[in-house]
Amino acid sequence: MTKTLSRRDFLKIGGATSAALAVGSMIPAPVARAAREAGHLNADGDGYISSMCEMCVWRCGVIAKIKDGRVVKLDGNPEHSHSRGHLCPRGQSGLMTTYDPDRVLTPLIRVGQRGEGKFRQASWEEALDLTASKMQEIKDKYGPEAMVFSSTHNLSQVQFENLLYGYGSPNYGTQRSLCFNAMIVANLMTYGMEEPARSYKDVKYILLTGRNLMEAISTSETSDLSHAIDEGVKVVYLDPRYTKTASKASEWLPIRPGTDLAFHLALLNIIISEKLYNASFVNKYTVGFDELANEVSQYTSAWAAKITGISAETIERIAHEFAAAGSHALAHNGWRTSNFVNSFATQRAITALNTISGNWGKTMFPAGGEEGGVLGKPPQPPYPRISALRLDGVPWKYPFVPLKLGIFQELRNGIFNSDPYQAHGWFIARQNPVLSLPDRNRTLATFAKMDFIATVDIIMNDTAWFSDVILPEASYLERYDPLNVVGDKAFLRQPVIEPQGEAKSALWIYKQLGERLGLGDYFQYTDEEDYLRQQLAPLGVSLEEVKAKGYAELPSEPGNNYTWNTTSGKIELFSDTLASAGFNGCTTWQEPPQPAEGQFYLLTGKVAQATQFGTQNNQLLHKYSDEPRLWMNTKTAADLGLIDGDWVEITSEVGKANSLLHVTEAIRPDCLYLTPGYGHLSKGLTTAFGVGASDSALHVTYTDPISGGQALSQTFVSVKKA
Amino acid sequence: MTEIKHHAYLFDATRCIDCRACMVACSVENNIPMDKTRIWVAGIGIKGEYPKLERGTMVYHCMHCDHPDCMSACPVGAYTKADDGPVTYNPDLCIGCRYCMNACPFGVPHFDYDKGIIDGAFIDKCTFCPQRIYNGQEPACVETCPTDALEYGDRDELLAKAHARIAAHPDRYIDHVYGEKENGGTSYLIISHIPFTELGLPNLPETPVNEVSEKVMAMTIPFALGWGAVLSGVAAGVNLYNKKKEEAAAKENAEVSK
Repeated sequence: MTKTLSRRDFLKIGGATSAALAVGSMIPAPVARAAREAGHLNADGDGYISSMCEMCVWRCGVIAKIKDGRVVKLDGNPEHSHSRGHLCPRGQSGLMTTYDPDRVLTPLIRVGQRGEGKFRQASWEEALDLTASKMQEIKDKYGPEAMVFSSTHNLSQVQFENLLYGYGSPNYGTQRSLCFNAMIVANLMTYGMEEPARSYKDVKYILLTGRNLMEAISTSETSDLSHAIDEGVKVVYLDPRYTKTASKASEWLPIRPGTDLAFHLALLNIIISEKLYNASFVNKYTVGFDELANEVSQYTSAWAAKITGISAETIERIAHEFAAAGSHALAHNGWRTSNFVNSFATQRAITALNTISGNWGKTMFPAGGEEGGVLGKPPQPPYPRISALRLDGVPWKYPFVPLKLGIFQELRNGIFNSDPYQAHGWFIARQNPVLSLPDRNRTLATFAKMDFIATVDIIMNDTAWFSDVILPEASYLERYDPLNVVGDKAFLRQPVIEPQGEAKSALWIYKQLGERLGLGDYFQYTDEEDYLRQQLAPLGVSLEEVKAKGYAELPSEPGNNYTWNTTSGKIELFSDTLASAGFNGCTTWQEPPQPAEGQFYLLTGKVAQATQFGTQNNQLLHKYSDEPRLWMNTKTAADLGLIDGDWVEITSEVGKANSLLHVTEAIRPDCLYLTPGYGHLSKGLTTAFGVGASDSALHVTYTDPISGGQALSQTFVSVKKA
Repeated sequence: MTEIKHHAYLFDATRCIDCRACMVACSVENNIPMDKTRIWVAGIGIKGEYPKLERGTMVYHCMHCDHPDCMSACPVGAYTKADDGPVTYNPDLCIGCRYCMNACPFGVPHFDYDKGIIDGAFIDKCTFCPQRIYNGQEPACVETCPTDALEYGDRDELLAKAHARIAAHPDRYIDHVYGEKENGGTSYLIISHIPFTELGLPNLPETPVNEVSEKVMAMTIPFALGWGAVLSGVAAGVNLYNKKKEEAAAKENAEVSK
């Protein structure tokens, strides 16, 4: 049963927090000394230190204000291109994640049943010895593939990979198939790069497909879009829900979920058949245009109108407007609101639309990786040869999914079904699969099959709650991470305060485990600062200098903007690789499933005050977020005899959840919307526990056979009064 | 930054995405308790019928009026209007009479029912972040705003900016800068695509309300002081009662957690 915080509870939280924020401890020596030497802290230990946000993965630069050894304020770093002096509500709330009263501050070892929440405190020595011995035991008994490793992509991922590949397991889970595999694989197939950069400087027309930038905030990009709107740039926004982005767009098109593809195919057909595309760009830089033209010729605006619910005239007008903007047009890859098994084809259609407008070099640019080839790194031996198949079916079932992306939901299924073999242990870092994976019941049943689960996290998230060992990580304000390359700078995340309790950095934790597992050669750094010095060595810049400035300048590499890392070296509108595997080489229509009579599409989508499944326990964000409720259109509610504020039971084929109802005009009558990331199971999250309903308890697992993406919107539910 | 003669804010409702970064920033900067706030979101929310919808939000805090009604109403002079803009409140002088709350046409000052006279402040409101603006920084709410819906600067310059923006996009904005003249002028200026009354702002005459009220108040001050004493006594009593209640609650909690 879901419940909400009463005002009384709220006041209690208030009391605890004001106390937490006010009680200070002197800043411990190492940070203070470095910061003082850099001139950032005065004799009293007060001042400002530059670092990097980790409230989401956009990684804005932050400047932390330190008073009496505590972070008292975070401001956006004006020198960082992702923040430009601003921070979103999550970034502003960051210090409350660090000072969360629910922080896990010592290693914990489970003493009760899994999920009972009974743990005892342990020393690092004991917790690491236990974890390493369990991992070694599993390796010796069942082979290294019986140990699964998963982590949501972050800056210390490179050392996480050393741990898992050094150990010899092929089973690597990230969060990516739950977010944007369809987009990344489509970009790789078309451009040969994961995600080209977008520029709003010369943009004149923007087509956003479910890209709710005003709520799913990426500070600089949200700012860019807002300023473009200010300048009078036309923004067309496709979304079944009237989001805050919809309210800022020039035109909101409440498209039927799962049919974005039909809309884009019709745009392609109109623009190509009327010869409104950039022929010189297409001739020079692409392959497969004729195949594309042939493929889309069947998709008329009348056809798309019937499928999408958007009139043929509107589709034609938008095609003409988009084409008229020429290379100043931008079709943005969406990735959340409408995710179906046809999302890969949708993403391919979006890349094709961009390509034929010739917007490369105007609104879209090549983007480099974040690791940066110019930086050094500690030496390490090659990984041992891994012959076991991956449990997630990559690449033996899913040949197009890059190994470092993987398919998280299929990994879970592989473990659950012991297919093709049984896994026995799971090492999880900074990730909450209990809530992030679809079909929570199955995830919990999968956990139950494990002999051993260890989780690295800063709070008692739901996954930690069901683990055997919890290794407390230092928060992003308390630790170093490897450098992050953004453009021509390598930015530094550095501790602005000492870790609370016994929390440690991931770099330290992985090294400790690695050494205990006999993998010390993969962790050739004495400590975090030594790691950074090795990274900086080729630049001839001292760590002290970088600590003071917050970043290191990188030599600019003159790159060729007009080569693509595809088989043909050009932008591939038709892919031989796809065709040779038996798929259509072009983007093509795939009919998405629809809800049965009496059922609804269940949509999720971000809010500005939360990141995925990890920030709901932040008291400041909790304070300023809307109570999560199930959105339902006014007419639908009237038909069902429901009113605003009713408790309703939502049922999908895999689970049930109870929620308060929010009756609104702002959603299609055939859709429902649930804020993701609520409905936490861990009672160790005292702010978030009992708030809202869990979308993952309802989500059905569907994997796109090409990209491995989870079709997150392809869950249909019924609703009745609870 | 050019020298600021009159500190002011400009809020553009067309830019606000209701992300609430300003609210969080204010709470952190000013160490506001978890159940309190100095910034609010107002507006029409979502208006219309699917699929013809409209949305408008406004964030607001103290308007820092040129002729502050709170100041006129205050019987003990706890309010000050600085020459360079900010309206500030001195908790040490406050007697908790709450006249300012009733006087403010924007409903900004709010009473802290959890605190009594012994704890100090009764009233809370935006301070204009003096710790930031006099140290070369923007107020916390402004600095963080990802879309520049909130801007900070000299009032004359912001007024010029607001009018220029309206002139450049007459189809987008209502041709009015709220706060330029309302109530004799405020230091929080607002431009919008939605009627100001729908954002929750009162229709105010250009003549400051306090020019009228001050005449009346002049006669009431002797009474007010007397009343102030009575109210202070009541407040102190209430505070004691609250303290006892809290202690009892704390005890209860302690027992529960055992």
